[in-house]
Amino acid sequence: MLYLELFLSFVMIGFTSFGGMSMIPLINDQMLSHGWMTSQEVADIVAIAEMTPGPLGLNCATFAGMRTGGVLGAAAASIGVLLPSLTVCILAAIFLERFKESRFMGNAMFGIRPVCIGMIAAVVIQQSMVNYAGSFLFGISWQAVVIGGVASVLLMVLKWSVPKTILVSAALGLLLGPII
Amino acid sequence: MKKEQRSRLADIFTTFLKFGCFTFGGGWSIVAQIQKEYVEKKHWITDEELLDFTSVGRSLPGLMIGNASVLFGHHTAGIPGALLALLGIVLPPFVIMIGVTFVYGLVKDNPYVANAMMGVRAAVVPIIISAMLKLFKAGMKDLFCYLIALGALALCLFTNISNVLIVVLGAAAGLIYMEVKERHAVS
Repeated sequence: MLYLELFLSFVMIGFTSFGGMSMIPLINDQMLSHGWMTSQEVADIVAIAEMTPGPLGLNCATFAGMRTGGVLGAAAASIGVLLPSLTVCILAAIFLERFKESRFMGNAMFGIRPVCIGMIAAVVIQQSMVNYAGSFLFGISWQAVVIGGVASVLLMVLKWSVPKTILVSAALGLLLGPII
Repeated sequence: MKKEQRSRLADIFTTFLKFGCFTFGGGWSIVAQIQKEYVEKKHWITDEELLDFTSVGRSLPGLMIGNASVLFGHHTAGIPGALLALLGIVLPPFVIMIGVTFVYGLVKDNPYVANAMMGVRAAVVPIIISAMLKLFKAGMKDLFCYLIALGALALCLFTNISNVLIVVLGAAAGLIYMEVKERHAVS
């Protein structure tokens, strides 16, 4: 049965991956082996996932499900990819809550919190290399740099919210994009 | 169900629905959005707790943003909170993606969409930086923390080591360091 197959396939993708780009090879394998998508379509969906909100894994699940089994297929695939959050993560949440006062947990978290800062810094560097790439001087896009600067001021000086900043940045992209 | 719990659940669901519309850039902007809404404005959680949700969410299997939403929801309103936060965060991308499959051909190579997205992507980095700056003090308690953060940054950038292992290494470093520090203080 198609819905069950979609569900199980995305359960496997969900449990064996840890989010982001690490999911692409797994998704590629599953889509090709079931004949649900071609590799060209997988590449397209990665690009489209970048344009729409939401994590890549969920975007792929929805798209592959829609293509093969309509809205129900999309729902089955999406629930599949979310199953780790609904099971392992809920257990982890209960565990964290129970032991949060313990000295052991406090000490472990003392080391984990700076790791988180380091991981976020890595994301900043990796995303900068992709998001500001272009064909202007030194391989950067001047429009992206200008918009990045405006967004920084809106967020950090004028204390705008994330949604408002994103909307203004999209509008600036539309305005500045056509200029060479 | 008590009235307070009900209004809390409604708040979580509607706020995460809003977050869900703007989770660009691999979902990291959700950290900035939670920080602004629930640390600064509503004071439901602390910066430290947000760091914990992010790092634990990133190191569990599945989608980081789904996991972080579940951890936040559970912490603030139990299992119903976890489920509603997850539903809220995934519903907008789910609906948008269903729409996109119908206009796939139009969207794929459309120059207007490409330009708007260039703008959105350019905003993602400042969004993540603003979250990082606000969380910085909560994560960096002494000099040793800077070493851990730099180590994690280098491992992320220059190796293929999984994030799970990096988080586990951080936990081990924290345990050993605090143990040594406490013994030192006693003697």
